[in-house]
Amino acid sequence: MKRFWAVIAGVSTLLGFSRLDGPAFEIPKNWPKPCYDFSRNPVSPDKVALGRALFHDPILSRDNTISCSSCHSQYNAFTHVDHALSHGIGDSIGIRNSPALMNLAWQTSFMWDGAINHLDVQSLAPITHPDEMGEDMTHVVTKLQGAARYPKMFLKAFGDSVITGEHTLKAISQFMLTLVSAQSRYDSVMRKEAVFTRQEMRGYKVFKANCATCHKEPLFTNQAFENNGLPGDSTLMDLGRMRVTHNPADSLKFKVPTLRNIEFSYPYMHDGRFKRLSDVYQHYSEGIQASRTLSPVLRRPIALSSEARVDLTAFLLTLTDKRFLFNPNFSYPKEN
Amino acid sequence: MIIVWQCTHGALAATQGDTLRFRNSFKGQAIFPGATWLHLDSGDSLQIETLRYYISAIQLHKGGQVVWTEANSYHLLDAGAETSMQIPISVPPDVVYDQIIFQLGIDSATNVAGALGGDLDPTKGMYWTWQSGYINFKLEGMSSRSTARNREYQFHLGGYQAPFLSMQLVSLPILPTRPIQVSLELERFLNELDLSSLNHVMSPSAKAVALSRSLANSFIIQAP
Repeated sequence: MKRFWAVIAGVSTLLGFSRLDGPAFEIPKNWPKPCYDFSRNPVSPDKVALGRALFHDPILSRDNTISCSSCHSQYNAFTHVDHALSHGIGDSIGIRNSPALMNLAWQTSFMWDGAINHLDVQSLAPITHPDEMGEDMTHVVTKLQGAARYPKMFLKAFGDSVITGEHTLKAISQFMLTLVSAQSRYDSVMRKEAVFTRQEMRGYKVFKANCATCHKEPLFTNQAFENNGLPGDSTLMDLGRMRVTHNPADSLKFKVPTLRNIEFSYPYMHDGRFKRLSDVYQHYSEGIQASRTLSPVLRRPIALSSEARVDLTAFLLTLTDKRFLFNPNFSYPKEN
Repeated sequence: MIIVWQCTHGALAATQGDTLRFRNSFKGQAIFPGATWLHLDSGDSLQIETLRYYISAIQLHKGGQVVWTEANSYHLLDAGAETSMQIPISVPPDVVYDQIIFQLGIDSATNVAGALGGDLDPTKGMYWTWQSGYINFKLEGMSSRSTARNREYQFHLGGYQAPFLSMQLVSLPILPTRPIQVSLELERFLNELDLSSLNHVMSPSAKAVALSRSLANSFIIQAP
């Protein structure tokens, strides 16, 4: 079987076809079609390997100290462990919590404010931001070209040892596309391979009644921008989506994040202000601040009894995907 | 020295291996980044450090009908790199035309197509990193009129989403001359620009759209 897939993948690469059901990328059963256009960047094992090397390599930062995985560590569901606001080179601090990375092939826009329109160009933002990696993309390409291992990896992946911005970005995309989390306990239950405990089931009902509008299954986000009633932080002055659209109707709106692997993706919210799920429940039941742009579904607070909170937590823990969090294909490549 | 052939009659038939030549000028004089100071009507002086822009979707028309379309038509023109200002085109010899149409900037579909190569490679310095999208037009320099730090001015014009769509269509009747020579004549644009009140545009906005429109209207066919 393995050999069969290897042959298929090889043939598809030769023909330039995207092989969505190949070994590197699979659409989980009953999931929607990805929005990423694979025909423009067909997945191949060599490109994924190159992207993985780049993702974990601090060469992408100006002083060669920060890699993508510095703020997107695997065991944290690819977000930043222990940091409300993510920090970059020279201990500089940004204004937002690094988003957890998973199921990016289905994501329609990137960043908390949706400023980035395509996975391929997403990496440009952290690479060049002075508070993140502070590099220049042209200089990144020069450094990669001069590194011992990269020209041959690019040759293997793209058939050209001359490194370009396009190929660098597409390789990083390829690795990120493979970060699919669809093997949680919740997924097993949905595939009828397991059943919820009674408590998890009660929690699922609480979830469906109170959270599922925005945190839509199976991705656990509807990818919309919403103001969830967080009081503004005067030290950050972050207007969210409005920064991109200049539209006052988008003031204080941020992208609805996925709840998958929520057990490991703390701290929560765009500025990482909540350390625990209990803080989040508290916010939705008593902390919502009314404003002109507050999400209509939050006009009435989500009042949850203490029993409901315990049940909801039991359900949310079923979204933990250990096979994703500890998948050896995603970690720092040993051959580095 | 630019050599110009004069056709004796009618519209013009190009041959394979033609060049579409772009030129940047002020009061008819060619301008090159860094080198010269321009004298504005206001008495102020102005220097251009960077002048780069995208020209895309080049078409030739005859009597309002498309007669030739360039494939994969995306060109980054840099006033500081003469070769980038000369676009090799191969138009079949039997194609007769009287109008050239092109876009100043990059279309919306290309703006959302991910990482691209060649002149569209994000390492070319014409792609915004903090918010996706191409910079269609970049004009930077210094002027005695600017009230900004170091008397600088900086215009990065782009934006591919309504209401700040900055890409512009340029349509010019072609005189029977060859090769086709298009000039970006900046006299009016620079004289109308009030650098004391507007010296920085760095993101998609109504100002970016207005400036883009004004620049699109500054292209002329260069008389032989």
